Amino acid sequence: MDAELAEVRALQAEIAALRRACEDQPAPWEEKSRVQKSFQAIHQFSSKGWKSSKDLKSQLGHLESELSFLSTLTGINIRNYSKQTEDLTGTEMTEKSIRKVLQRHRLSGNCHMVTFQLEFQILEIQNKERLSSAVTDLNIIMEPTECSELSEFVSRAEERKDLFMFFRSLHFFVEWFEYRKHAFKHFKEKYPDAVHLSEGPSSPFMVIRSASQPGFELVIVWRIQIDEDGKVFPKLDLLTKVPQRALELDKNRAIETAPLSFRTLLGVLGIEAALESLIKSLCAEQNG
Amino acid sequence: MEQANPLHPDGESKGGVLAHLERLETQMSKSRKQSEEPQSVQAQEGALGTKIHKLRHLRDELRAAVQHRQASVKASTANVEPNLAVEMNEQEVLEEKLENVKAVLQAYRFTGLSGKLTSRGVCVCINTAFEGNLLDSYFVDLVIQKPLRIHHHSVPVFIPLEEIAAKYLQTNIQHFLFSLCEYLNAYSGRKYQADRLQSDFAALLTGPLQRNPLCNLLSFTYKLDPGSQSFPFCARLLYKDLTATLPTDVTVTYQGVEALSTSWEEQRASHETLFCMKPLHQVFASFARKGEKLDMSLVS
Repeated sequence: MDAELAEVRALQAEIAALRRACEDQPAPWEEKSRVQKSFQAIHQFSSKGWKSSKDLKSQLGHLESELSFLSTLTGINIRNYSKQTEDLTGTEMTEKSIRKVLQRHRLSGNCHMVTFQLEFQILEIQNKERLSSAVTDLNIIMEPTECSELSEFVSRAEERKDLFMFFRSLHFFVEWFEYRKHAFKHFKEKYPDAVHLSEGPSSPFMVIRSASQPGFELVIVWRIQIDEDGKVFPKLDLLTKVPQRALELDKNRAIETAPLSFRTLLGVLGIEAALESLIKSLCAEQNG
Repeated sequence: MEQANPLHPDGESKGGVLAHLERLETQMSKSRKQSEEPQSVQAQEGALGTKIHKLRHLRDELRAAVQHRQASVKASTANVEPNLAVEMNEQEVLEEKLENVKAVLQAYRFTGLSGKLTSRGVCVCINTAFEGNLLDSYFVDLVIQKPLRIHHHSVPVFIPLEEIAAKYLQTNIQHFLFSLCEYLNAYSGRKYQADRLQSDFAALLTGPLQRNPLCNLLSFTYKLDPGSQSFPFCARLLYKDLTATLPTDVTVTYQGVEALSTSWEEQRASHETLFCMKPLHQVFASFARKGEKLDMSLVS
């Protein structure tokens, strides 16, 4: 048993190191300015080697900096890609000068902590008037699969065969995901006794509890939603848990109206300030 | 006498891969044994075994590409002299890496945004699509200077490029390009719908399709049943939101002199709703299908 436990630890460390290589990228919302800066840096590097160098190494360097730029720009890191082509033109079609080609594509990569593997088919039909190109099949495998907020979105993308929407929305989703995680971690560190992340910083729930007022609980539910058109937006709700006696004493119905007031607060202060003010209000005694 | 290859690639790689396979085998049979025994202590060990197996699989996937490359490099240097072997190793590793990078660069067009570095900066290519149909691409050639500037581009003149650039280009290239993507994809989608209407459903149109270059104002007359004597419906579709592919304002009117009967009025109203909810060519496809059903009922 000990040997196996040791092996588990060793494997986890190794995986963490390999994953860190992926996660070592800066926070996605900071990447906006990083794109500008890396743009300059990459341009400087590649313009040095620009004077047509046939040397493999410098060619590789140039292409790798191109890759780095695209990865930063799209937020998507593609690691592998392969393609197969099948000519489906029958003899009848050739006579009518129609050409039909089926392409099978496979690509995999990651967007921060989410890894994806896509297999899709594109059917190209060329006739006298035009060339049409359409995605005829799309299969997406994503990890981690526990991200339930994503699975509905993935099915929709597969159904619509919408590659671009998939990548664009994935990028924004992950940006919000990382931001939420960062915010929750920040509050946990700043108010360790009041803030509880029972399911970890990656879950949508943050519980605020005051040690001096047991029985009172505020639960922040911060969901990240993706709508029909692929637009990603946060949706925050407040749930309250109070003792029966407190409810009876609450003549102003403050607790009843709390969820609605929270929405207003969000609109006025923004997410982080609103959450902070909630924590402070419940734990006023502690901080005093 | 020639010295034996000091790298001993065959021996080493065989030993390495074999040993790895053997380890996997023992681990698999171990976890199999554990899963067969129902007692709780063994169940704990079994769960651990499964966990190890899963972790190993994940770790192996992450390492797989590197191992493959190492193995193929070793295999190809089996019968070559030591010095050459080292040089060829590097060369082949570089070539394979280059091929991989080139392939991945190709793949970026499937994200909707791709590009190439230029001597001046970067040329970004925006790909558009609508409902799985891959449509036109546009490029924007950016020059790295202070301020960032667009050298040239293939964006149609009726897309508000200058507006979008004024808002975002200097502070946030990503936002600039994503916003431009939205406009271009929406334009491509509207254009696709109008083109399909003209080419596939000309039989149902009673006059030419009137459209503006931006394809956000469409006007046409149509009849569900081309053979009938009734007056056609006249539709006007306005897409106020330039980042959308569905119209914001739809009016369907009847050109005839007499008032519409209730069933026709219902139809007119339902068409207005349909045009707001579904892409133009799909609405007409459903008209065509209904028409086929009507024909069948006439025959039988």
